[in-house]
Amino acid sequence: MSNFLNLLPLLCFMLFMVGISVFVRRQQERGSYMQNFMRHYFVGGRDLGGFVLAMTTVATYSSVSSFVGGPGMAWQIGFGWVYMAIVQVTAIFLVLGVFGKRVALLARRFDAVTVVDIIRERFQSDFLASISAFVIVLFFCGTMTAQFVGGAKLFEAVTGYSYTTGLVLFGLVVVVYTTIGGFRAVALTDTCCALMMMFGIVLLLYYVLQAGGGYDAIMTSIETNHPEMLDPLSAGHMPIGLYLTQWILVGICTIALPQSVVRGISYKDTKGLHRAMLIGTVVIGFMTIGVNFTGILAHGVLTGDLASYGGVDSIIPRTVVTVMPPMLAGVAIIGPIAASISTISGLLIVASSAIIKDIYVRHQQKKGVRVPQQRLRWLSMAATAVIGGIVFFIAVTPPSLIWIINMFAFGGLETAFFWTLLLGLFWRGANRTGALFSTVGGTLIYCITQALGFRVFGLHQITIGITCSLALFLIGSAIGQPESDAVLDVFFPKKKQPVEAAEGKLAEE
Amino acid sequence: MTEEEKYRQIKKEAIATGGALAVIIVFWLAAGFGLAPLQVQVFHLPLWVVASCFGTWFLSVVLVRLLIKYVFRDMNLEEDSHE
Repeated sequence: MSNFLNLLPLLCFMLFMVGISVFVRRQQERGSYMQNFMRHYFVGGRDLGGFVLAMTTVATYSSVSSFVGGPGMAWQIGFGWVYMAIVQVTAIFLVLGVFGKRVALLARRFDAVTVVDIIRERFQSDFLASISAFVIVLFFCGTMTAQFVGGAKLFEAVTGYSYTTGLVLFGLVVVVYTTIGGFRAVALTDTCCALMMMFGIVLLLYYVLQAGGGYDAIMTSIETNHPEMLDPLSAGHMPIGLYLTQWILVGICTIALPQSVVRGISYKDTKGLHRAMLIGTVVIGFMTIGVNFTGILAHGVLTGDLASYGGVDSIIPRTVVTVMPPMLAGVAIIGPIAASISTISGLLIVASSAIIKDIYVRHQQKKGVRVPQQRLRWLSMAATAVIGGIVFFIAVTPPSLIWIINMFAFGGLETAFFWTLLLGLFWRGANRTGALFSTVGGTLIYCITQALGFRVFGLHQITIGITCSLALFLIGSAIGQPESDAVLDVFFPKKKQPVEAAEGKLAEE
Repeated sequence: MTEEEKYRQIKKEAIATGGALAVIIVFWLAAGFGLAPLQVQVFHLPLWVVASCFGTWFLSVVLVRLLIKYVFRDMNLEEDSHE
């Protein structure tokens, strides 16, 4: 479909995203923007409502691989894959339900705009905060590159235009709109992206059913030709261990991903949070089932074997090209591209905040220098643009190192932050030594075992990472100094009247 | 709510959220692996697929509704802030 007209829908969509960003920026400059620039730029002024909060959390969580690689695997494996993918339905309500209010209150207390700010206050350690910021920036860069590459490859396969054209068309634009509008623009564009993702799924599903001769015909053909697709273990293609590790990797432990937790700082009131838990769960379930089911039903149109299509990642692009009229294919690719850019924008703004707020501003504070708002504004935007630009250029010809970082990223971030946040925010006995051991040691062990391909019982290395991280946390907390009561009393408030033996009781918690 | 009451409430909510997760995991196991040996089909789909995929989604939405109706409480986030 190398007709320029067919690119028009995507072009319009991207222009619309920039428009939103410019609008947000103008609106904010009229308000109290300059008095607290960082709060506006990095968490959107803590003003998100329930719907937008739900959509931005889902859109950041759902990456291009949930739209391309995932359904491709579903095509190959069958319903076992959907059964495994549905564990993601817990991801949104878990992070908002467990951390949503906790970080919202603490962030207001400390005027925090990042997750690292909260970790720093809790453990009173600049070293831990710097390590956390480093881990975030490193792994986010890997993930962002993978999103760029995934989106651009899909663009190339569907439109016939070059990889680089695609990268410029959506890659540069996402960096531009994130830089201009900051978090609030990210949240609003994410909302549009999530809506386009759902629309794209419905559109593709409709055309797949049409081209495949209807639902009954496709399912009957799968029953006869691929009966193993109807079995949860898919004749051995879906080992039982994979189910277990997916619960940990894409379900439970995702609550510690900084890009998700930071959304707890960004909403306005608890009514919005409650609504977001509900809407987010509905939406993520719809997307997960919809997109993977479509992958399976693509058997109605792609009847050859996997190798003839060039691998799992080619299944969805091939399906789009095969079943859709060219003009609509231009609309259909907006869905996966939206999945890609909404993840990039969410990571980019957090990476930028890590460098500016967690490292630069803190460093100046310690020297006793107060950075003027004007300079903060300039530097924050520059940091966003520079990180985005670097990742963009890496994505033009990605070196193999970046794939290694990306492979480590998801589990690495979870290993680094799961216990530090969960125990740090809910257990009074958690201390700096434990958090340091857990974040540094756990992440190293995770990365090393993964690099060596070392597995226990054949399970994904996240099981090793998360277990070691917990063990190290507990050991560190046992041998290290407890945090001072002044700090702990802020995080774990006591009753005003000392009626009960608060000390002993809280220590047990 | 005082700071202490807020913290206790939040802790209760977090534990209840974890409880909902546990219920979902048990349901997911029973609906998927538990029903897989049955040869029953609904709309051309094996019963286990309908129960585990659509069922887990549906159950999660219902549980979240129950959580926000009966466990989660509205609270003022701005109170006692240091601004």
